[in-house]
Amino acid sequence: MSLLKRIDELSGSSKVRKAWFSFACAIFLVVIVIPSIFVVTNLVTDWDLVSMVAQDEAIRSTIIGAVANSFSIALIVTVIDILVGLPMAWIMVRKDFSGKKWLDTLLDMPLAFPTAVLGISVVMFWVAPEGVNIPGLGLNLSPYMLLVLLHILFTYPYMVRSLSAILEQIDPNYETAAMTLGASRWTAVRTITIPLFRAGLATGFILCFARSLSETGGTYIALSMMDVKSSFFTGPSFISWLKDTEPGGGALMYSSDEMMGAQILISVVMIVLALILLIVVRRLIARFHFPMDKVWPELGRKVSRGALPKAKDFVTIAFLIVVVLLPAFYIFMYLAEPASDIDYGGLLGSIGISFLVAGVAVVVDILIGIPMAMYIARHKGQKLGQLLDSVVNVPLIIPTTALGVSLALFWGSLGLDSTFALLLVILGHISFTYPLVVRNLVGAIEEVDPAYEEVAMTLGAKPFQAFRKVLFPIVKSAVIAGGILAFTRSLGETGATLAISPTMNTVPVYITNLVNQHAYSEAAMCSIVLILICFVIIFGLRMITNRRSRRNA
Amino acid sequence: MARIKLEHISMRFGDFYAVRDINLDINNGEYVTILGPSGCGKTTLIKIISGIWTPTEGKVFVDGMDVTNVPLEDRDVGYVFQNICLFPHLTLKDNVAYSPRVKDQGEEAMGSLSTEYLSLVNMLSRAGMFPKEISGGEQQKVAIARALASGSKMLMLDEPLSALDARVRVELRYELRRLVKKLGITVVHITHDQEEAMSVSDRIVLMRYGSIAEVGTPLELYRHPKSVFAANFVGETNLLECTVSERTKSGKTRVKLRGGQEVRASKTAFNVGDPVVISVRPEHVYTANDGLRAEVRSVVFMGTYWRVRTIADSRDFVDFNVPADEEVPKEGDVVYLVFNKKAVVVFARPQGGIEEEIKLE
Repeated sequence: MSLLKRIDELSGSSKVRKAWFSFACAIFLVVIVIPSIFVVTNLVTDWDLVSMVAQDEAIRSTIIGAVANSFSIALIVTVIDILVGLPMAWIMVRKDFSGKKWLDTLLDMPLAFPTAVLGISVVMFWVAPEGVNIPGLGLNLSPYMLLVLLHILFTYPYMVRSLSAILEQIDPNYETAAMTLGASRWTAVRTITIPLFRAGLATGFILCFARSLSETGGTYIALSMMDVKSSFFTGPSFISWLKDTEPGGGALMYSSDEMMGAQILISVVMIVLALILLIVVRRLIARFHFPMDKVWPELGRKVSRGALPKAKDFVTIAFLIVVVLLPAFYIFMYLAEPASDIDYGGLLGSIGISFLVAGVAVVVDILIGIPMAMYIARHKGQKLGQLLDSVVNVPLIIPTTALGVSLALFWGSLGLDSTFALLLVILGHISFTYPLVVRNLVGAIEEVDPAYEEVAMTLGAKPFQAFRKVLFPIVKSAVIAGGILAFTRSLGETGATLAISPTMNTVPVYITNLVNQHAYSEAAMCSIVLILICFVIIFGLRMITNRRSRRNA
Repeated sequence: MARIKLEHISMRFGDFYAVRDINLDINNGEYVTILGPSGCGKTTLIKIISGIWTPTEGKVFVDGMDVTNVPLEDRDVGYVFQNICLFPHLTLKDNVAYSPRVKDQGEEAMGSLSTEYLSLVNMLSRAGMFPKEISGGEQQKVAIARALASGSKMLMLDEPLSALDARVRVELRYELRRLVKKLGITVVHITHDQEEAMSVSDRIVLMRYGSIAEVGTPLELYRHPKSVFAANFVGETNLLECTVSERTKSGKTRVKLRGGQEVRASKTAFNVGDPVVISVRPEHVYTANDGLRAEVRSVVFMGTYWRVRTIADSRDFVDFNVPADEEVPKEGDVVYLVFNKKAVVVFARPQGGIEEEIKLE
């Protein structure tokens, strides 16, 4: 208590507050931003390795192909997400029906699955490859098609969430007003509501695009199961393949110099392209003029009434069920199989590592994320606030595998080698989960009138007391929501972990290895165990927060 | 032309009736206010008239045509929202031109209509601005212009002035009435502000608990309210419990207050001994040398007059007004009150008591 009191006293001094904020900024820069893009400097220091690789015709064309695949898949997936996500957001926000709560929960579930698990489940559902003893649809899909289907699974919920968040802010009276002026529902939505969506579209676009671009675990597993991991690449899967020491892996084909050069090259290419894209998308969406000058009253009327709106809702729900939910849950089919032997020791060990990494990362995220989020939320109008607001997104848009490569190089250059693997993995996971926590917090803090804290201070509270007793309790649920998001994201991450340390056996890595050994049913059972543990934790946290919020309400 | 007729309109949400069995005729070009405390069903009623909601029972007629099931966008009803709802991404001009645009009336109509209606509300000079760049009062003017530009002959106003500053509110309400009268538009205006209702309407519909409590011109409602609720809600009044003590053949009535003091009232049809309530407005209470004895409790300067609150020997609070430049009694003084007998309105005493009858929720 006396410590808290001392902090309360200290927080009265603006110097101390500045120092604390500067400290959070410094940590953010040194631990998160700089390591994330450090690999770019290797372009100079390791130029000979890179140029050697770049001159190798075969590797160069592979890298170009992989990057092209990554970006085009991400683009297709994001566009599909927007098209199907918009009507879904409408259903979630503007419609009231029984079972909405269930739909709401179901929608989030794919986010709680490690992507490696989703990879197995999706391939089983659509393709049913050899070696898998659960029958799927058996479609003959190209790896490209399959990856599109897979990536929709874990980007779609992000899209629906960001679009719903914006739609909730838009007063439904705008649409009603438009309709009293003679616009049909369709015309009203097209000319009024959609143009008000810009911010949500930009966020959703960036989130989904980045997520698809950086996904490694599920992608690599899917490609392995389809037996094309050494012939079809995305950017992140190429890096995983380079480090893959199993039969068919790239580690057996290239020298360590070639590997290093190729890794640096593809990482830099992906980071630079992703950053350019982030800037371009922001600019484009801000300027984009929705085609809305012309209206077609008759067409609008036809589309707004009768069977069409119902058909649209039906297709939306059908898409959710067939393309998202069924493939995600298909892995549970293994529960009907006679139980195969699981190496529980190995599984629990890896779960332990995963939880340790995720837990530490989330705690650090929250500790250094709160001052950052407060600053950004309260200084939106100022240069520094806006700058930080954009920079926080950087680790989000960088492919996690590239981020992992970059991190390993950065800390390696400081002398932290593989003996510090656990620490490095944790630092890596902090990098890509930090933006999730800060984003959530900024949103929540912006909603809180600063007058609350000011009132607390007029009543004699020190700034830290005002934060502790007033602001924090109000935004606590956002802190927890951000924490859950970051935790599951960390739990599901494969690419960055592998890129930092190929020997760090987190759960997704453990499951990926099982798949590489074609032990599908064991991998599936491990996945199920992992999903169940995740659900128990998330459910427990939700229960606690719900009870709290009900008490506060 | 726009004559509105409501027949047995009810709107039920589950077991709860937001409005119940409403019958109302609104004439062409009439300015009707729907007045009532919050939660009385006012907004529900105009949402039904305009087609935003379909009533669970009953029918809406416009000019004799049943429009109950005509969709909102074909109703041709102008609607002005309480929170204004100008489209934030469109300029004022584009906002006003929205209706001609979505009806595909062509560039020319869009240009001329938006110019016409913006100048009607004196906002043409701001045509290129965005809603957030102008003040609340100006926004509401543009919102009215936008609703009128649809060419509708009916205008629904959902507490259009309640979000505005007091000054702006008063100025805008006269401008509003002048405007719609000039255009010959039928208006249904919702408000919980009785002063606003009194000053703009041709007729006031007083609502309570989802039903119509009373309908009349502002003067009728003020002078001859038919219920204790109306007397209390429209304007300010003193309510005193009493019993009828005497009634002449012509109907002239005397009532006896608690404590025995007798007061003369207007003509009624009550019998001697009936429990009643009298309503007398503060401006009809005077001090005299003799009358109802009362002790002054507070004296408040209201800007143009003094409001004196007393507690009478009948255990009722009685308020009265004193002109600003006249001498006022002090707190604790004893005064004798008399009432203008023509302005003393008598009601049967409500079963649940006065408090229950004038409750707003």
